[in-house]
Amino acid sequence: MTRGRHAARASRPAGLRTLLAGSLVALGGLTGLALNMWTGASAGPAGPVPHVAAPRGRAAALASASQSGRVPAPLFLVIPAIGVRTRLVQLGTAGDGTLEVPQHADVAGWYTASARPGAIGPAVIAGHVDSLTTRGVFFLLRSLRPGDLVYVVRADVSVVRFAITAVKLYPKAGFPAAAVYGPVPYAAIRLITCGGTFDHSTGHYLSNVVAFGDQVGRAKPRPGG
Amino acid sequence: MKHVRLTSALSAFRHVLAACALSLGLLSIAAPATSAATPAGWLRLAHLSPNTPAVDVYLYAFGNSHARVVLHHVSYGTVSPYLPAPAGVYTVAMRPAGAASSSAPVLSTAVHVHAADAYTVAGMGPAKGLRLQVLKDRLTSPPGHAMVRVIQASMREHLVTIRAGTDLIGKNLAFATATSYQAVSHGRLTVRAAGETEHALSTLTLDSGTIHTLVVLDEPGHLRIDNLTDAAGSKFQPDGGGPATGLGGTAPPRASSMTWLAFIAAGLLLAMTGLIRFRRGRRTEFPMR
Repeated sequence: MTRGRHAARASRPAGLRTLLAGSLVALGGLTGLALNMWTGASAGPAGPVPHVAAPRGRAAALASASQSGRVPAPLFLVIPAIGVRTRLVQLGTAGDGTLEVPQHADVAGWYTASARPGAIGPAVIAGHVDSLTTRGVFFLLRSLRPGDLVYVVRADVSVVRFAITAVKLYPKAGFPAAAVYGPVPYAAIRLITCGGTFDHSTGHYLSNVVAFGDQVGRAKPRPGG
Repeated sequence: MKHVRLTSALSAFRHVLAACALSLGLLSIAAPATSAATPAGWLRLAHLSPNTPAVDVYLYAFGNSHARVVLHHVSYGTVSPYLPAPAGVYTVAMRPAGAASSSAPVLSTAVHVHAADAYTVAGMGPAKGLRLQVLKDRLTSPPGHAMVRVIQASMREHLVTIRAGTDLIGKNLAFATATSYQAVSHGRLTVRAAGETEHALSTLTLDSGTIHTLVVLDEPGHLRIDNLTDAAGSKFQPDGGGPATGLGGTAPPRASSMTWLAFIAAGLLLAMTGLIRFRRGRRTEFPMR
């Protein structure tokens, strides 16, 4: 009897504790559920990749004025190091003046107001890191390393080759527009996608990944002497 | 703008330095290729002297007797593409086309290359009085504009006036001089260069965000305008930071309603267990006799 009473005394506070802990967990779950309902109503986009306005007006006019003559437009992008093989759609700017992004997450797009790949200047190519449900064409962009090769096939089936020089992560607010879009004295490429933390309340990533590359393999002056 | 005449002293100094480097076994430290990661500038080499025969142009890292680059048989009117060059001092030397690399150069000059800057090193003037000019090139343009500079390399027309569309970009430019850059309205422009008797017309597309050097050259019987692209950027820079290129399908998920429901269920289960144990404990403590 004494032993039984002793065991009972020990189990009473334990039972109480379990009861209290269980209640707390249930209460936490209830709070979470309530919060989820609350913010869920104002959360980001639903459905497939949101449709972004096709380039019209200013951007379209710029694109048509961009007949740089000798260098043909890009059609395909191949990045063996990260298994990218995609056709390139044409991107302008959206209605709010921001860079248009491809409508589908599995293709990349070339910004038509940027240089044609292989012409002097930076050719800007953007692609999604992911869609609402799955990986995008540039899911592995952040894992590119300096020296990795990027190939662009152009409308005349010519191939232009770039070597990655740097891959960097920038917060959206600190996006280096001049380094990405600004003038350079040689043929360059800029591959852009999203990265960093995903903000569930806005439905957007907080940062961008930019891979910088320079053209390589062009006929070079003979070294030596 | 720097004019440096051939200095045999400089050349000799270079050879002495090279000899020292050789004896110390410190040769060929200069990397042949550069990337954007290393602070580098750019150099392009040009022959703009109408009555000077073709030359071989050598680019040396200062104090290194092995040329980084040799451009063979460069004739009047030729401008090389930009060659990337790590920041530092270089020597540009010209020898008659085909001359041995060990022969004394006809002309040489030192060029100080700063990181992220670009330079044109051009042989300019008449054959007698030929000199190497170092021009600093511009790599930026104000938004919505194209930038243009003129190098007047026509010897037959000693004074040339040049207009791009309605903009006057050079008036009575003397042979072997260059203007500074100026902004012009962008788009498709008719550029007209006119001397006393000869002239040239050229329709050029000068996009906004691009920087150009127009070179006025002698051609048999007329002038020619060469349009060099010094640098180019996007014609229009999108607003508003980085593009929205992700929708979070691969991001760590936010806890869903199901997760919270599971939490509630687990909590209730735990509480029930506790309650049962608590009540059983009371029964044991006060047994009914």
